[in-house]
Amino acid sequence: MAGARGRGDYAEEREKAAAFLEGFQRSAAGRQPQHKEQRPYCAQLEAVAQRERAALWVDLEDVAEEDPALAEAACENAPRYQRLFADAAAELLPRFRRGEPARKDALDVYLEHRLLLEGRAREPGQPREPQNRFPPELLRRFELYFKAPVGTKARVIREVKADSIGKLVTIRGIVTRVSEVKPRMVVATYSCDQCGAETYQPIQSSTFMPLLMCPSRECQTDRAGGRLYLQSRGSKFIKYQELKIQEHSDQVPVGNLPRSINVSVQGENTRLVQPGDHVSVTGIFLPVRQTGFRQLLQGLLSDTYLEAHHIVCVSKSEQEEVGEGELTEEELRQITEEDFYDKLAASIAPEIYGHEDVKKALLLLLVGGVDQNPRGMKIRGNINICLMGDPGVAKSQLLSYITRLAPRSQYTTGRGSSGVGLTAAVLRDPLTGELTLEGGALVLADQGVCCIDEFDKMLESDRTAIHEVMEQQTLSIAKAGILTTLNARCAILAAANPAYGRYNPKRSLEQNLQLPAALLSRFDLLWLIQDRPDHDNDLRLAQHITYVHQHNRQPPSQFQQLDMGLMRRYIAMCKQKQPAVPESLADYITAAYVEMRKEAWASKDTTYTSARTLLAILRLATALARLRRVDVVEKEDVNEAMRLMEMSKDSLVADKGQPSRTQQPSELIFAAIREMVPVGGVRSVRLAEAEQRCISKGFTPAQFHAALEDYEELNVWQVNQQKTRLTFV
Amino acid sequence: MPCVADWLNCPLSIVQDIFAALAQNNSDPEWEKKVTEYFREKLKENNATNWVPSLNDVPLHYLKPSSLVKFRCMIQDMFDPEFYMNIYETIDTHTKSHVMHFGKYRDIAECGPHQEIDLNPSHVVTAERQTFYCVPVPGESAWVKEAYSSMSQARVCPSTSYTPSRQKRSYEEDEDMELHPSKQREQHLGSIADIHGSGEPKRLETEASATHQMINCSPPLDLNFPLPGEKGPACLVKMYGNWDNFKVNDVLEVCGILSVDPVLNILNNEDRENSSSPVESMDCMDTVEEQRVHSPPASLVPRIHVILAQKLQHINPLLPACLNEEESKSFVSSFMSELSPVRAELLGFLTHAFLGDSLAAEYLILHLISTVYARRDVLPLGKFTINLSGCPRNSAFTEHLYRIIQQLVPASYRLQMTIENMNCLQLKPHKDYTANRLVSGVLQLASNTSLVIDETLLEQGQLDTRGVHNVSALGHLITWQKVDYDFSYHQMEFPCNINVLITSEGRSLLPSDCQVHLQPQLIPPNMEEHMNSLLTAVLPSILNKFRIYLSLLRLLDYSISDEVTKAVEDDFVEMRKNDPESISADDLHRTLLIARFLSLSAGQTTLSRERWLRAKQLETLRKARLQQQKSVNGNEL
Repeated sequence: MAGARGRGDYAEEREKAAAFLEGFQRSAAGRQPQHKEQRPYCAQLEAVAQRERAALWVDLEDVAEEDPALAEAACENAPRYQRLFADAAAELLPRFRRGEPARKDALDVYLEHRLLLEGRAREPGQPREPQNRFPPELLRRFELYFKAPVGTKARVIREVKADSIGKLVTIRGIVTRVSEVKPRMVVATYSCDQCGAETYQPIQSSTFMPLLMCPSRECQTDRAGGRLYLQSRGSKFIKYQELKIQEHSDQVPVGNLPRSINVSVQGENTRLVQPGDHVSVTGIFLPVRQTGFRQLLQGLLSDTYLEAHHIVCVSKSEQEEVGEGELTEEELRQITEEDFYDKLAASIAPEIYGHEDVKKALLLLLVGGVDQNPRGMKIRGNINICLMGDPGVAKSQLLSYITRLAPRSQYTTGRGSSGVGLTAAVLRDPLTGELTLEGGALVLADQGVCCIDEFDKMLESDRTAIHEVMEQQTLSIAKAGILTTLNARCAILAAANPAYGRYNPKRSLEQNLQLPAALLSRFDLLWLIQDRPDHDNDLRLAQHITYVHQHNRQPPSQFQQLDMGLMRRYIAMCKQKQPAVPESLADYITAAYVEMRKEAWASKDTTYTSARTLLAILRLATALARLRRVDVVEKEDVNEAMRLMEMSKDSLVADKGQPSRTQQPSELIFAAIREMVPVGGVRSVRLAEAEQRCISKGFTPAQFHAALEDYEELNVWQVNQQKTRLTFV
Repeated sequence: MPCVADWLNCPLSIVQDIFAALAQNNSDPEWEKKVTEYFREKLKENNATNWVPSLNDVPLHYLKPSSLVKFRCMIQDMFDPEFYMNIYETIDTHTKSHVMHFGKYRDIAECGPHQEIDLNPSHVVTAERQTFYCVPVPGESAWVKEAYSSMSQARVCPSTSYTPSRQKRSYEEDEDMELHPSKQREQHLGSIADIHGSGEPKRLETEASATHQMINCSPPLDLNFPLPGEKGPACLVKMYGNWDNFKVNDVLEVCGILSVDPVLNILNNEDRENSSSPVESMDCMDTVEEQRVHSPPASLVPRIHVILAQKLQHINPLLPACLNEEESKSFVSSFMSELSPVRAELLGFLTHAFLGDSLAAEYLILHLISTVYARRDVLPLGKFTINLSGCPRNSAFTEHLYRIIQQLVPASYRLQMTIENMNCLQLKPHKDYTANRLVSGVLQLASNTSLVIDETLLEQGQLDTRGVHNVSALGHLITWQKVDYDFSYHQMEFPCNINVLITSEGRSLLPSDCQVHLQPQLIPPNMEEHMNSLLTAVLPSILNKFRIYLSLLRLLDYSISDEVTKAVEDDFVEMRKNDPESISADDLHRTLLIARFLSLSAGQTTLSRERWLRAKQLETLRKARLQQQKSVNGNEL
């Protein structure tokens, strides 16, 4: 495009630029019809003329709206068009000036003097000598930068190659080095010791050859040999800073090292970033001009850099979302099939065989429940899960999978990270010597998942802090004069080994783990993963493992496993929903809870059933509703939540797994119903109550009805005609 | 057509010829292909590769600048790509005539005294090349180096070529060279290790160094070797094309043009001197430190402009470099035919090394041929870390054991796990942002390097932060075969394939796939004598067979038939039924792995029922020992 235009056309292009700056009106569609906003560049120019701002931003999106060819040309040949636009703006500026600017600096005064002197000394009409003419750079008091069109995709540094030289490119990366801000000379002003004439030298490169001899006519004709002296007061400087930007870890191909690029930043763009910031930089990719001896020698090589035009700090999560975008219809359909709940759960850590319920619980942990803030009190929505189990039951693998799946996560071991630890530490900055707060794993996992392996081996100091994190979701620090509260809104996934090598069902939970009950009750779900022999399971396990060894890959499962990226996006989508528990369900839940309390009291359970259990059920239920992407929690959700709760309790109960002691569901249902029967009086219960009771214990209605029929046949009980009451014979 | 000496000594003139013939008129990229073709053909001819001097065994100052050299190395760091002028023109200041030149394979533009480079962009073709910072393969065994250098037929005559090249060299280069006289000298001599052999040149050097050392006080350049105490030249390898195939830690053999132009140093020095003046420092965006690292003196870190590069599957000189070719197939099949005696011999040898413990010897063979053959999601398959417990303390047993392993494998390293070492060493590589380079660590090793961690040296003490990090890095490496490189703002995982052997007294504090308790049959009164006699007793030819055996079997393919799979599954279920405690999923994994390596060690590429049973038998024996040990020691497992 740009090549097609001849050189002579640049004047024309400048006209276009001027017309754009003056005449551009933002189309009202989609924007508020605010009066001031309508001519954005006029407003900017006015501000520049009044010295209220120093930078003029030209959004190429706007240019494209007006003249797509111009915008494209500006992208292709950015340095030239930057000058053209700047020239055009400089021409327009006097028209926008309204009276004297409020502020004056040394250069203003200096220029004013010169202009005044000039006007006196010079006869009107006499042409000025080229050296003595004020260069436009000196008089110009603004900087012009381009903003890339919104649609431009940020590039990876390694994709910026030689073909992008001279073009406007946008890159993403992490700032690794920031230099000091230094003044850089733009126009050098000299005065002659003989004739007193002033000479100006515009400087474009990073180095320049100072002028030595006075080029004025006076000196030339007299051969006076006037020497020039640099006047720093009359010279113009601009703020200048250098950055080094490195690729993000996710942009680097496996096995390669991240690359970096130099970025030179000028004027208003300086001091915007710090090392460690994630940035997106729009700029012009240019070769460094070598001068002098270097040019001679290293003529073969050229270094490159990016001249920054527009710098935006982006947070990591933000840019991830931008990168991934919404799910398409088809992907949604792929996920929300019939048994999507099982499918999603099975896609978690597919290499780990079995443990469906644990995986379901982990899925809910990733989705999370809804936070609630009734009257300033904060009730967390994040679900905390603790996995316990004998050594070698893939606890750590589950943890490591969740770490990778969750968009924001920290993996740590209770003992592993010293120094900062889990919470936070006050450290002395090695450079500045100031005290700084360095966040530990829990703080870094804010809004994400914190996976803690070897939870039982945690340090005492961390253990006290984690109480607060797990319920209040904050972290209070009082160290080295720093008193503060940090957010730690994270879901905690812990893995712990039993204290005596193997889990002893005869002992209570806190004895087994050697963790205080206060801490354990803060976990919504506690799972004990045990290794129990079972023919079918063993066979399937063996098949799984041998398949892997035979074919070096995963065996095909009945579910098409979902891609990790897809799952991540789906979970992000689910998190946008804020489902609520409807009034109608409240009674049901309270009844179920009271029931559970009673039962726990009766059975002398090793676990706890407290108010926290109720909250946990609500959290799980809301998470399930989120997973279905609906706004209202249904009874099914509550049932499933209670089932998971029940299963997690079951896993802790003694030796249930022994084949001799496995009971048919109908037997268990029978036992449950028999318990409901009042001791004295009529030996009957209401059928609806019995059903609800059983469902809350994790049985399906189908199982309930099957059991009903079984025992009716055995003549143990009778159901009346209206199917409302059940009477024991 | 140029003769042999020509393409070896002045490859650039050949490139020039080809360039002149093809590219003078139309600047099409055809000539570049032609150049690679030409050299590939030349090197194919009757063992021509052996004629090319190798930087690994020839000291740098014996090599002629811009001659063809080869280098066997590992990629330690990748720098940013650089742009160079592929084709440019010079103008003669007197006659105003234009001449076209090529910039490929060069650092410095060729420019006569009356010539100027025409910077008009229409005459310049810019291209991109990638620089890798390469170091010799870390932990390369001495026998590998010797075998390579004895194979080499390159004619470099130190006595004649050395002196004149000295005179030619500029003052600046000498100065830089003498900066590190000791390093230089060690480098030159490499594995030959006879310092006094080089006679006169050495005397000259030491004299010169004595005077220069006084003047020069700039800190010595760290060549960034992964392992402490490594020697050899580091090299900036410039790749032209196809660099995306190469990854960090890959082992390469590159063949290219050596560039040690002293002008590169002057450039450098000039930068350093001028860095104090504020205006000049803006000329170059990089810090002084970065300059130092990215363009070190050419006499210390030479440049190689690569013409041909290939990734090496292994670095064993006794094996053909590429096993897929026809001629190497015959080599493999002939070796396979005599496999079982070699295995028996090796087993006997290792049994002696293990003081009569044949079970441990068996497991060590399996360990030495193990390799990560696939990665299933996160889990690496084929890693087989052995924890050899019950090693006698205070008898230098582990040290001698390592010497034996060193004799068998092409690359190895012994990490002495003392409190001091763990607290001081930097195991994980990390990025140094001021110098913009990846500072290497001990765990930056090439594939199939044997890492022997000696835990018998561990005393009581306190690990500090770094120590804890180092221990967890080791654990991470063993479990996942991955090393997290520290990029300060984030960590990056690099998959690796390192065979880890842990020697300890009790159970190691590091995780391992399999613990073998050593049961020595006899304790020799003098361990050193015993081991030395063992090493001297074995014939070099037999030793070579061992080396081939271990390297070759690692590269074989392997499969399991459906039939055997079924049998294994039934077996597993049966065992679980009888005694659920006896076998877990992990045990099945391990036993399958052992069966795999057992089959391979016998030269079989499929699993048979007998091997499976044998694997189970080995496991039972091993477990029985652990059980026994447990009952002896009470609480220890």
